[in-house]
Amino acid sequence: ENISDFSVNITDCTQVVVPEEVFFTVAAAGILENLLILIAVVRNKNLHLPMYFFICSLAISDMLGSLYKTLENIFIILCKMGYLTRHGDFEKKLDDAMDSMFILSLLGSIFSLLAIAADRYITIFYALRYHNIMTLRRALVILAIIWVFCAGSSVAIALFSYEAATVIPFTILFPLMMFFILCLYIHMFLLARSHAKKIASLPSSTVHPRANMKGAITLTIFLGVFLCCWAPFVLHILLARFCPHNPYCACYMSIFHVNGTLIMCNAIINPMIFAFRSPELRSTFKKMFHCSR
Amino acid sequence: MSALRLISNRTSQQALSNSDYTWDYEYYEYGPVSFEGLKVHKYSIVIGFWVGLAVFVIFMFFVLTLLTKTGAPHQDNAELSEKRFCMNSFVADFGRPLESERVFSHQMAEESQSLFHFCINEVDHLKKEKESQKGPGVESNTHFQEVPKSSGMFEEDLHCLTKFNIPNFVNTEQNSSLGEDDLLISEPPIIL
Repeated sequence: ENISDFSVNITDCTQVVVPEEVFFTVAAAGILENLLILIAVVRNKNLHLPMYFFICSLAISDMLGSLYKTLENIFIILCKMGYLTRHGDFEKKLDDAMDSMFILSLLGSIFSLLAIAADRYITIFYALRYHNIMTLRRALVILAIIWVFCAGSSVAIALFSYEAATVIPFTILFPLMMFFILCLYIHMFLLARSHAKKIASLPSSTVHPRANMKGAITLTIFLGVFLCCWAPFVLHILLARFCPHNPYCACYMSIFHVNGTLIMCNAIINPMIFAFRSPELRSTFKKMFHCSR
Repeated sequence: MSALRLISNRTSQQALSNSDYTWDYEYYEYGPVSFEGLKVHKYSIVIGFWVGLAVFVIFMFFVLTLLTKTGAPHQDNAELSEKRFCMNSFVADFGRPLESERVFSHQMAEESQSLFHFCINEVDHLKKEKESQKGPGVESNTHFQEVPKSSGMFEEDLHCLTKFNIPNFVNTEQNSSLGEDDLLISEPPIIL
């Protein structure tokens, strides 16, 4: 079908275009930052712990997301310049592969965040048995299972993205996981609060009321960033599947590039929230940069 | 996902506006969208979505703050006054001439022993946690500020432990209480 003759009113909601320089800068920053984290964890033997492996898994999925966006942009530029055609079989396969990489990135992010939350949960509630429960081998096995599952689902979703049966579970999984992670953290909060109260009742303790705010702020930032970066895209998928002809939906879908840039921003912000808060990792970075000079 | 490609390729389409495109693998017809007769603003979904998201995040922040703060500032004063009351009762009991020394010291022993045991348990718990956390390192604490704050609280609890030195606890208790809480003696006991 030819879509070259559009209705006149299509200009009402034109595509919001993000300049390509911004796009590439954000993507490159995300890829570099996460690559640094991977290198730091690999090089420093002290960081070969389950907690850091989960952070690495998050870094890998962020990298995949930024990589996907970069490749897609390059693909579009190549199409513009005429090197690639639009209706070739190769392009279709490439497109499907890139779509599955993107969904892999999203699923990998969600499951990595879940793994990090579960790891912290076990650290707090099963502190004495943490080393027996979360051995290095178990952490690697868990990560392997997560990534195999994500890879399988992403390929399946990319191949069958035309069915409503894939879009709906995909969009339900997202808030469900967020809710579960939130519950884990709230339970941790409640324990920390009761612990703080117990300590405060000891005669010689000093109470820090402001410390309680820090936990709430940290958690809000972490969940808020993830929501704000991924929810627009998930809504886009929903609208594209269910109401592509509605003018309101079409106007929402016109900001697709902004949504894509938000996802890449998430790849930049996530390391700051998780990885850079660890003093050991920061000192590894400093050593790496000082050695390279 | 072809919808994504369609939308992302429309930007390039604007550059080459005269060509015709055939989409062999499109699964739906993305026909023209008419923007006539809109009741509300055309970007209403965008605005509504972002406003809703912001409201949700702020709501979540308030819920979390409430969860962590409940018991913290008010309890601050309540527990502080409770602590003072306990200390005061120690001092007041010590000062009462009518109490026989045996009974008094027994009472003091019980109270301070219970506090001592509590303190010991806390210290042990924290010690074990600290040891078990030596593997993942203290970083897991820095990630999550709320939780046991091992380094700070550990010293505090060791400090508390030194106060409850049972062999000569009466003397040290008296000395420490007088040394640290000089003002307490002159204050009337706070009745909760």
